[in-house]
Amino acid sequence: MIWLTWRQNRIEGFVILGALVLSSIFLLLTGLSMTQDFQHSGLSACLARHPGPNVLGGICGPLVTAFSNQYSLLILFAVVLMLLLSLFGVMVGAPLVAREFEQRTTQLVWLQSITRTRWLSVKVALVLLTGLLVGGALLGELFWWYRPFSQLLSPLNPVAFDFAGPVLVASTVMAFGLGLFAGTLTRRTVFAIFLTLALLLAIRLPVEFGLRPNYEPPVTITWPLAQVGKLPATVGSQDWILGAGFIDAHGNKTSGLNCNVAREETPQQCLQASGYRANYLSYQPGDRFWTFQWIESSIYAGIAVLALVATFWLVRRRRV
Amino acid sequence: MSNALETAHLSKRFGRTWALQDCTLNLPAGRVAALVGPNGAGKTTLLHLSVGILEPTAGSVHILGYSPLKQPTETLPRLGFVAQDHPLYKDFTVADLLTLGGKLNPRWDDQLARARLQKLGIPLDRRAGKLSGGQQAQVALVLALAKRPELLLLDEPLASLDPLARREFLRTLLDATVETGLTVLLSSHIIGDLERVCDYLIILSASQVQLVGDIQEIGQTHKRLIGPRQNVDALAHVHTVIEQSQTQRQTTVLVRTNGPVFDPSWEVQGVSLEDIVLAYLARPAGEQLASSSSAHQGMEVVQ
Repeated sequence: MIWLTWRQNRIEGFVILGALVLSSIFLLLTGLSMTQDFQHSGLSACLARHPGPNVLGGICGPLVTAFSNQYSLLILFAVVLMLLLSLFGVMVGAPLVAREFEQRTTQLVWLQSITRTRWLSVKVALVLLTGLLVGGALLGELFWWYRPFSQLLSPLNPVAFDFAGPVLVASTVMAFGLGLFAGTLTRRTVFAIFLTLALLLAIRLPVEFGLRPNYEPPVTITWPLAQVGKLPATVGSQDWILGAGFIDAHGNKTSGLNCNVAREETPQQCLQASGYRANYLSYQPGDRFWTFQWIESSIYAGIAVLALVATFWLVRRRRV
Repeated sequence: MSNALETAHLSKRFGRTWALQDCTLNLPAGRVAALVGPNGAGKTTLLHLSVGILEPTAGSVHILGYSPLKQPTETLPRLGFVAQDHPLYKDFTVADLLTLGGKLNPRWDDQLARARLQKLGIPLDRRAGKLSGGQQAQVALVLALAKRPELLLLDEPLASLDPLARREFLRTLLDATVETGLTVLLSSHIIGDLERVCDYLIILSASQVQLVGDIQEIGQTHKRLIGPRQNVDALAHVHTVIEQSQTQRQTTVLVRTNGPVFDPSWEVQGVSLEDIVLAYLARPAGEQLASSSSAHQGMEVVQ
């Protein structure tokens, strides 16, 4: 069965191995150059001397801008890599059973001397093992590669969060599991691929924008109106800022202002006269990164497990 | 004698249509049986239920004494199956397919497979998709035979083959049955080709079993009676009337006899197997014999 799985999926195997090698070379070259620039431009030393929430507006601002201008496009590469991994999960998962239905080879392979459960177990186990190895290797590389950015941006920022932790592997496994399930359910590879992509969007968008900011209650700090526009020093560059604004007369947070500044007033006086009480800022502290990674990884892994269980159930019950 | 295949009140419904209804039949071990019926009669359903890739709606099926659904580890190694249109992995070479068989089957006989393929002149390094239809069917049969099954089921194996390929396919099959005493059940919508190979007949029509039994016995008990125009009621008391036709002067009846026909007004003739099958298939759906009684009769003939 191991041989059969290899024989049937060797092309995918070679493609993903090639993709891994190419990405590794690319990550290594750009990563080395980034690390070097980060040190030699003095940015690293500057940040060490002047820690603060606003790296762009601070003393190190010009250095940060120079570094970003040169390398920020590369983050796109990491994002594309992350998307490609999910896509690959779907492309491997969807045909794994569906192709057998399409070519009616279920009627050949399900009548050899091994049970369907065993047949599917070995297939899934081998693909998952390969996926975990490749995903793990990429994850390690990306983690190293991303280090310079991680001092400029919160690790929780929506872009980096997806590829700079175990969520990368969990979301890939979820893509594979959903693809496999959709393929087994519909028995059509192409349809299953599109169905899975739609499912992935329907899962990931609400998770990223609805759930992730609230895995733990955000920290909210307030400070006097007089210091409007100044961030308190407790907020660092590693923190993920969710919202900022004012506390109004009723104690509610609001981001918009409703104040017509008369000629003789300063803006602060107007705010006070309109009943606004304080500035506020709510954020997720950067040190929650790993907690958030594990929470989100568990969500994706949980969905993957459900999809796999459903697939096994279908294959045991499904007619040819 | 033990049965290679036993079904009891086996039924399968897809949505609201019954593909197979109340099918009770036994196939004794060592027989080469033809499962005959028109398209859509339930032949494929019966075969799929037998090998366990379908779950019955009602009733039971046993293969060599085991349930194919509940005891797949017992039935699968003992079973050979060649599905309709003999699906193969088209991008596998013939050698790959043999490796597949070797890896997935404990009783795999690689020498047998290679010898048969060599005899058929099928190259091992050719991809299955590049073989002719007849060769693909042969490869599928060789794969099933090299499992060394005790029961081999074939679903319309001849349908897509030209006459020459048919003859070669049946020769391979016949060789194997002679060598190993394997039980075979093969479905077809025609009987012509199968008469030389098969010694047992199951007729399925309108999702119900019409007739089960030894082919020789069936040939002996079925007669065509020709006589002056008359009512057949008296005849029907003793014998089973399968088909009758009247002209102005003459009545022709096809009967399954229960003993000699004494009435001298009938001229008794033998009937070809093909005519018997056609007569059963032509019977209106509601008029069939109680299928269990015909199945019993078939069994008595054998036992």
